[in-house]
Amino acid sequence: MNADLILILVVLTNLKLLASSRLGACIRTAAAQGMLLGLLPLLVHPHTAPARVVGLALGSAALKGVVFPWLLFRALREAEVTREVEPYVGYVTSILAGILALAASFWLGGRLALSTLAASPLLAPTALFSILAGLFLIVGRKRAVNQVLGFLVLENGIYTFGVGVIAGIPFLVELGVLLDAFVAVFVMGIAVYHINREFDHIDADRLDRLKG
Amino acid sequence: MKPIALLPPLLALVLSPLMLGIINRAKALFAGRQGQPLLQAYYDLWKLLHKGAVYSRTTTWVFRAGPIVGLAAVLTAVALTPLGGVPALTAFPGDLLLFACLLGLMRFFTVIGALDTGSAFEGMGASREVQFSALAEPALLLALAAIARPVGSYSLSDMFSAQWAGNWTQLGPTLALVATALLVVLLAENARLPVDDPNTHLELTMIHEVMVLDHGGPDLACIFYAAALKLWVLGALLVGAFVPLGETNAWLNLTLAVGGQFVLAVVVGLVESTMARLRLSIVPQLLVGAGALAAVALLLVLR
Amino acid sequence: MKHEALLWLVILVPMATGGLAAVLPSPRKVLGTLCAGVGVTAGLGWLVAGQVFVSGPVSAGWEWLYLDALSAYNLAVMLLIYGLSSVYAWIYFGAELRSGHLTLKQTRLFAALWCEALAAMTLVFVSNNLGIMWVGIEATTLLTGFLICVHVSRESLEAMWKYILICSVGVAFAFMGTLLIGAATRGLRLSASEVLLWTRLQPHAALLDPALIKAAFIFLLVGYGTKAGLAPMHNWLPDAHSQAPAPVSAIFSGFMLNTALYCVMRYVPIVETATGHTGWGLRLLIGFGLFSILVAAAFILFQHDLKRLLAYHSVEHLGIITLGVGLGGLGTFAALFHTLNHSLCKTLAFFAAGRLGQMFGSHDMGKLAGAMRVSPVWGAGILGSVLALIGVAPFALFMSELQILKAAVDSRAIAALVLFLFGAGVVFVGALGHAIPLAWGKAETAVKPIRASMLETLLVVIPLVLLLALGLWMPGPLQTALNEAANVIRHTGPAPAGPLVGGLP
Repeated sequence: MNADLILILVVLTNLKLLASSRLGACIRTAAAQGMLLGLLPLLVHPHTAPARVVGLALGSAALKGVVFPWLLFRALREAEVTREVEPYVGYVTSILAGILALAASFWLGGRLALSTLAASPLLAPTALFSILAGLFLIVGRKRAVNQVLGFLVLENGIYTFGVGVIAGIPFLVELGVLLDAFVAVFVMGIAVYHINREFDHIDADRLDRLKG
Repeated sequence: MKPIALLPPLLALVLSPLMLGIINRAKALFAGRQGQPLLQAYYDLWKLLHKGAVYSRTTTWVFRAGPIVGLAAVLTAVALTPLGGVPALTAFPGDLLLFACLLGLMRFFTVIGALDTGSAFEGMGASREVQFSALAEPALLLALAAIARPVGSYSLSDMFSAQWAGNWTQLGPTLALVATALLVVLLAENARLPVDDPNTHLELTMIHEVMVLDHGGPDLACIFYAAALKLWVLGALLVGAFVPLGETNAWLNLTLAVGGQFVLAVVVGLVESTMARLRLSIVPQLLVGAGALAAVALLLVLR
Repeated sequence: MKHEALLWLVILVPMATGGLAAVLPSPRKVLGTLCAGVGVTAGLGWLVAGQVFVSGPVSAGWEWLYLDALSAYNLAVMLLIYGLSSVYAWIYFGAELRSGHLTLKQTRLFAALWCEALAAMTLVFVSNNLGIMWVGIEATTLLTGFLICVHVSRESLEAMWKYILICSVGVAFAFMGTLLIGAATRGLRLSASEVLLWTRLQPHAALLDPALIKAAFIFLLVGYGTKAGLAPMHNWLPDAHSQAPAPVSAIFSGFMLNTALYCVMRYVPIVETATGHTGWGLRLLIGFGLFSILVAAAFILFQHDLKRLLAYHSVEHLGIITLGVGLGGLGTFAALFHTLNHSLCKTLAFFAAGRLGQMFGSHDMGKLAGAMRVSPVWGAGILGSVLALIGVAPFALFMSELQILKAAVDSRAIAALVLFLFGAGVVFVGALGHAIPLAWGKAETAVKPIRASMLETLLVVIPLVLLLALGLWMPGPLQTALNEAANVIRHTGPAPAGPLVGGLP
């Protein structure tokens, strides 16, 4: 079990998110990704103060693996949707775009010259790939819940970057990231609930009355 | 030439119909039935060779050439395939491309033989076959490239030699991804579920079956045997990627590889028993997914 | 010792007020507590800001809280705007309560979010830790999101969703930039709790890794720029401003956009020093600024909704401020001056738009024609503020824009000069075409004239008088304050002075 294996699994979960149309499966995949990333600090900093690292790992794994899916499933239940509507970009094209993004992330990650800092050479590319995949989901999907998942994946990418590359970042700011993600999902969950109540759907692309 | 070098092609020629028997037996046992005898495929080949053939007046020499060229192509591919660390009969740099092209040649002649009959039914099967293999071929090539890069050689015999076959310690996650991709390609190329049901007789669901619908007698025997050889050859690649071999005993390695082939046949039987045929519009997603896994493996070894 | 306590109080008082206002029994009491709390905070804030201008930066909390000239100036302006807007909220929501459009629950929600948002924005200004500054910006996004849909409707929900999603993505990018800044400090060997402190980074910025700093600045500019409404990341702005109630729009335009731009300004001296004073970062700022001006000018031409028009004016003026910072020298001074002018003017404009919307029942400019006849006070307010916004002399906005033009000429940025003049010209013509019918046009349906109260008259007169006065005469203390604040960005002038009171060495 080393950091490389976890990072490859994270890449695979990103590809699965790009490829899947069932919202339930997407939420579970995002939860799995969150839990995998929760384990990452334990493998990247084996020599730091164990209590703080273990606490962070457990906290983020619990938050991303349990709390977020629960909030999102609640929003889904209210809205009574199970599948993504015909998205702007088809699934085959999404996977191909994902592979291109992965190649670009490897290239960019190599250019950023962080290899002396990072615990694993796969870390910067995985982080960049998660960011790109998250952006792709936000832009390319119509259901509001999928956009929230895209935001979560984006945050995961930034978190990966932070955990792996910055060895000395203050604990408070790490907490800040987790808190930010939690409140963001909470707020977005409430927002989706209101949208569904008012509109009877959660298709973000049908929110188009404000133009110009 | 050492006698052991002759064994991979010999084993292929003799044992490949047994693979089909094992698959069918595994499916039957899973369903709670007794199933066909293991050697049923041999009996079918014998029966077909003793039958006559009927040719439609609308067909030309292409129809008659199809099965023969197909069998010739896959026999050449057998000559290129290593097994259990024993190098193939002929090996040279770049033979993995020739391998892929030979499989493509076999497919091409099957397809134009099907089109030659002038039947819309077979044309439909031909178009589906071509669509799916257009997606499966890049997956195969990417997977093989992902193994070729760390090994440093483009010859199949080097890639699956005793030192590199199943080398989990050095190649690790790459091998897992490549093995998954190769399994999907194997299922797609050999017309197995979840891509194509070999037992179906419904028009709407046929792909490979429908292309060979008008062949009979010795032609059908050629096609049947060629399909078994193709399964063996692709299986040998997968076994070569998956099964770790020691460097000491060549005979042990060979036995492990043959055992691996049989285990693969059981696995295919299991997959066929547990999965339903995918909707035809979903199959491209599966194949592109396999290609994506192979691409990830390639990117991992390229950096 | 006293001033450190002030720094803490300035954050804690609004938080407490918000909590208190959420549990009071009557809407009048809620709004009254809100005004009182904001007033107290404003008093405390001006005290500590004055202290900074007199005797140098103030620091507290082991240097995690820090107020220098730049943040003190911005804090003072923000508290002024917040104070005016709180009084306006009293008036605006008072009218809604009388007509039964607002419930107690909505009032409580509004008051709580309003005060917590003030606390978050104050946190951004007093924080020395760049990570905490980011936390403050993120908090403002999430808190103000629900302020937009105090009145739940299809349009307001749509605006809220776009706002939350786009700004969250932007703020996430800004966090990535913050992390990259943290990564760039490896050459400085700072301890874990100091690695993101601005006062530690700024003096030693030459030792930071230039490639990482450049990557970081791009993320930061795009991220905070989304929150500031720079084009092309401004898409959430018109929707959010037009759908939020008028006091909230006033806060958005009046101060939240500037808060985000302040964060960018904090990073400018670091980036400039680390990249060797080549002006790389400044050129990026000029580019974004000009693009915002031109995009806003294009969209202003065909607006129908008054608040959307004002929102696009915000995009334009934020672009002007960014352009000023990018030009440097006199441009930095002018940009900070423009912050004050634009905030005052835009706040007044939204006040007027809100009240006129209440009187006429709609914000569509076709229906709002002839405002002068219905309410001379607010009609004058809207006309005056729009005229000031498009840069009519002798209002203060004209002066600050003129200074930016001079800065462009000084630094030979002729292309920037031409584009800026073109954009400003288009805005002038377009907005004037909207403003004249607004004030004196013929209304489609006759509306009864409404008398404005003394408080409302004061709310209109004070900003207009201030804008006129500042346009004609720059008071000495203001000039000193602006110079000191600009020096922080231009990183000329003395390093943070003396032993910092209350902080560890």
